[in-house]
Amino acid sequence: MAEHKDMNKWRELAIKELKGKPLDTIFWQTPEGITVKPIYTWEDLEGLDFINTLSGMAPYLRGPTATMYTNQPWTIRQYAGFATAKESNEFYRKSLAAGQTGLSVAFDLATHRGYDSDHPRVAGDVGKAGVAIDSVEDMKILFDQIPLDKVSVSMTMNGAVLPILAGYIVAAEEQGVKQEQLSGTIQNDILKEFLTRNTYIYPPRPSMRIVSDVISYCSKHMPKYNTVSISGYHIMEAGANSVIEVAFTLADGKEYIRAALDAGLKIDDFAPRLSFFFGVGMNFFMEIAKLRAARYLWHKIVSEFNPQNPRSTVLRTHVQTSGWSLTEQDPYNNIIRTTIEALAAVLGGTQSLHTNSFDEAISLPTPFSARIARNTQLIIREESQVCHVVDPLGGSYYVEALTGAIIREAQKIMDEIESLGGMARAIETGMPKMLIEESAARRQARIDQGKDIIVGVNKYQIEEEVPVQVLEVPSTVREEQIARLKELKAKRDNEAVKRALEKITEVAEKGGNLLEVTIEAIRLRATVGEVSEAMEKVFGRYVAPQKLITGVYASEYGENGVIENIRQRTEAFKNKTGRRPRILITKMGQDGHDRGMKVVASAYADLGFDVDLSPMFQTPEEAAKMAVENDVHVVGVSSLAAGHKVLVPMLIEELKKMGGEDIIVIVGGIIPPPDYEFLYAHGVKGIYGPGTPITESATQVLKLLEEKYIP
Amino acid sequence: MSIDQISEKQIKEYIDGILSGDRRILAKSITLIESTLKAHQEAARKILDRILPFTGKAVRLGITGLPGAGKSTFIESFGKMLTARGHRVAVLAVDPSSPRTGGSIMADKTRMEKLAVDPNAFIRPSASGGTLGGVARKTRETMLICEAAGFDWIIVETVGVGQSEVTVATMVDFFLVLMIAGAGDELQGIKKGVLELADALAINKADGDNIERAKAARQQYEIAFHLINPPTRIWTPPVLTCSALTMEGLDRILDVILTHRRKMTEHGELERKRKAQNLEWFWSLVREGLELWFFQDEEVKKNLMSLIKDIEEGTVSPTSAAEHILSRLRHISS
Ligand code: B12
Ligand SMILES: Nc1nc2c(ncn2[C@@H]2O[C@H](COP(=O)(O)OP(=O)(O)O)[C@@H](O)[C@H]2O)c(=O)[nH]1
Ligand SMILES: [Mg+2]
Repeated sequence: MAEHKDMNKWRELAIKELKGKPLDTIFWQTPEGITVKPIYTWEDLEGLDFINTLSGMAPYLRGPTATMYTNQPWTIRQYAGFATAKESNEFYRKSLAAGQTGLSVAFDLATHRGYDSDHPRVAGDVGKAGVAIDSVEDMKILFDQIPLDKVSVSMTMNGAVLPILAGYIVAAEEQGVKQEQLSGTIQNDILKEFLTRNTYIYPPRPSMRIVSDVISYCSKHMPKYNTVSISGYHIMEAGANSVIEVAFTLADGKEYIRAALDAGLKIDDFAPRLSFFFGVGMNFFMEIAKLRAARYLWHKIVSEFNPQNPRSTVLRTHVQTSGWSLTEQDPYNNIIRTTIEALAAVLGGTQSLHTNSFDEAISLPTPFSARIARNTQLIIREESQVCHVVDPLGGSYYVEALTGAIIREAQKIMDEIESLGGMARAIETGMPKMLIEESAARRQARIDQGKDIIVGVNKYQIEEEVPVQVLEVPSTVREEQIARLKELKAKRDNEAVKRALEKITEVAEKGGNLLEVTIEAIRLRATVGEVSEAMEKVFGRYVAPQKLITGVYASEYGENGVIENIRQRTEAFKNKTGRRPRILITKMGQDGHDRGMKVVASAYADLGFDVDLSPMFQTPEEAAKMAVENDVHVVGVSSLAAGHKVLVPMLIEELKKMGGEDIIVIVGGIIPPPDYEFLYAHGVKGIYGPGTPITESATQVLKLLEEKYIP
Repeated sequence: MSIDQISEKQIKEYIDGILSGDRRILAKSITLIESTLKAHQEAARKILDRILPFTGKAVRLGITGLPGAGKSTFIESFGKMLTARGHRVAVLAVDPSSPRTGGSIMADKTRMEKLAVDPNAFIRPSASGGTLGGVARKTRETMLICEAAGFDWIIVETVGVGQSEVTVATMVDFFLVLMIAGAGDELQGIKKGVLELADALAINKADGDNIERAKAARQQYEIAFHLINPPTRIWTPPVLTCSALTMEGLDRILDVILTHRRKMTEHGELERKRKAQNLEWFWSLVREGLELWFFQDEEVKKNLMSLIKDIEEGTVSPTSAAEHILSRLRHISS
């Protein structure tokens, strides 16, 4: 590649300014492995075939529509849901009145995993991390006074997609809105559930069939409805860098195209209704380039399937700012982070946007924090004057070169996935998960030793944290839901429901469209749990196997006294007591956040602990059995979805019952500060929240063990 | 558990607990067996001696195969099938991977998710690291304790890439090798020595679009397998197909194991096999103990270094060097 004619001169000047530091020191290696130079020139654009293209035209890199925000700004779509349908409905209506332009429903984890609120496995989950929905009756309350022919609704639902989408359709029907009038989005992206989000229900193959049943039904009856929202956001939040996020997301998309074609659809029947969902983090220019690169690559991918309709190749996306980048420490800093990320999403050309609340790492948003988050977008839209030009960074040497680099690197990973036979096959090999987890472990090690700076966490910490308001969903929500379920079952025609459910089982077994028969059952007031169980009879319930990497945390940390010191202590513990400290790391309830559990498990093994990993979704009784059988010294509960106040006391109770009262219980994850006392009072010996360096929690756990076993 | 001497009273509590099937005490007894402390090992020995009369009644099944062959999944499904038939199943994992600075991660139960929570199953993953000999001792002793605690099936899983599968083969009644079709040529790097020990070979993952390939592989392996492991008077080691995922073929494998057991028992072979295994175990313990004892001797340690140097430099012949160092044995013993 040619170089700018004055580049040598520039280098001389630079070296002089660096006062003896080598020039290398101002080149930056991004986590994606891309080398960012200190200056870019026109020469860096050489060979890039997308320079000087226009928005609204292939390859759509500069924007899916010609006029973009100059004509219509992005949709402000805040993801929300908590407690009961009634409470969430009130929240939605207030938000719409305050300037929000679209809805996005967050369901609770019981619903996500296809359990009714009265199921014993969801004791700690109902209404906690989203809204509890058991039947169409709840759904009707959720959308009460919200005209579904006018307000576009996005629903994050994957595992229990059939009963929930059917519930939405029937709720609309009973509002007098026809199916063809419905606009909005269902996530319905099951592949990334197996990869990172963990709210799948059935094994991969029947799950993929459900996806294509939904696509196929909607392509006939709901032409304005987005049938899959192919999501990179969760992949990024689980630890992936931008290149991995783009590659896996688009590879997922390609897999859905294949599934729909296999189901007999034509590419133009459904491709225009595939939409995307990306995350945007703090790496400002990288994130802008990422959205541009994704549009380019998707155009290329879909074009291989010979569509006639040009809209088939256009990538439209929703963006959410990164929750992972937000901290429990000094939480008002998060408003600033979110602003930067939101601006990147807008400069990258998103179609809709969610901005996180500053209390992200503490609890679900309060009305106050939700308002600030929404206003962040309103201020960008109304005050910053960034909406007047399409793709304003087009032509920036740096952003264009970065876009090219992401395209190149992501293509390599996609080629590798193709060679494995596509994303579904690749997931079976475990390769994608490993890449994400390795990336997460490296990141953790860099933050823990202060190589990557996070203001307020590992640098510029404040002496005393200011307490913030916490939204707590009361446990009575479950009781309310159970009472409503009883009432529903007493009123409906149970014989008709039974027949409709049998029909679902039959179609699951013998073929036919599952959404069609589910709508029938939901009309008759079958519940989310009943519909899910009707299919479970045929498909079975799936738990993804876990494989863990080791050695990554320690190697990224490098030679350093801290790690060596902990290793010596675990070794000494072994020499004195006959074995290494043994810890069971477990997740109870339907909480599927496993990033923390995995980095902790992997790092603890590096530090010399013997680590038992439990399957996900344990009941307290199951976790206790495992702890007792494996005879661990410590059970470490990782809890992020607000189940801790119910589940941890139950675990301690079960341990007692099984003769394991000598086992120490510690808790990590999202524990709001007001809950610490409650947990200590129930016998918890240590609590380690977001931002705790792993070396720090390990040191404290060791101290507990040494005090107990080596007095 | 205290690190001090373990009292007679405590030992009695352990024994009573084990015999009454107390899961917590069973778990703690295994910890004693696995401990690196002399006092714990001694206590474990005492316990073992006294529960010995209550052992020996279980079916001991060893399973090996390359990583990813589906061993854990097989045990999950097979184990569930057994508990559904009223059996009590204990699962032990042998994984003597090379000792490293860190600890180990035991994620076995994430692949035996249903069996793990079954009240009639007991799964104990053991931390890796440590010598093969050590692991072998621990597994054998754990097996006995589980039998005394009333488990009538013991399944031992081992990765088929090292030496451990041979060790496991010498502690079980039935040794099953799991393979998958099309993952390479012929017998997939499973060592000939392991195949010689196999009582059956099963081609797993015979499901979905893989069924035909599995069947083809079965025929192909059969010939190769019977060359390595020819039929005897009592037993012709079969090659089977199964799916740990759909459970297809698992009942057939159970049949095979039970038939094998019946035939072995009828001919008195089972008793003979176990006696031979016991003697073999005894000898290997003696050999190991001797080695350990010998190499721990300060004088030996000191001499060894210089002798090796001499041999390398050619100033002493290996024969007389060996003679010299072994003569030390006489001094140690006296
Ligand atoms: C990443 C993330 C996700 C990812 C998860 C990817 C994955 N596979 O893990 C995705 C995008 C998929 C996701 C989805 C959801 N999420 Co989320 N998510 C987060 C987020 C942003 C970061 C969590 C994280 O991974 N951090 C990095 C890890 C390394 O940190 P950590 O887990 O806290 O662990 C550290 C410590 O806590 C401690 N620790 C943790 N566990 C243990 C265990 C032991 C033994 C020890 C010693 C220490 C320890 O050590 C670690 C190192 O410091 C948090 C908010 C936040 N900033 O924390 C929300 C958050 C947890 N999510 C939330 C919600 C509601 C959801 C959803 C349920 C939304 C919905 N209704 O659909 C879904 C469903 C997920 C599911 N299946 O459960 C809420 C929970 C609300 C609450 N508790 O009241 C949070 C708090 C955001 C918010 N404020 O709304 N999420
Ligand atoms: N299709 C199919 N997959 C299987 C079967 N048995 C195991 N697997 C899968 O193969 C992978 C490895 O299985 P695992 O039991 O962990 O193997 P191990 O390493 O031998 O213990 C997992 O993803 C299993 O789900 C089977 O019978 N059929
Ligand atoms: Mg295994």
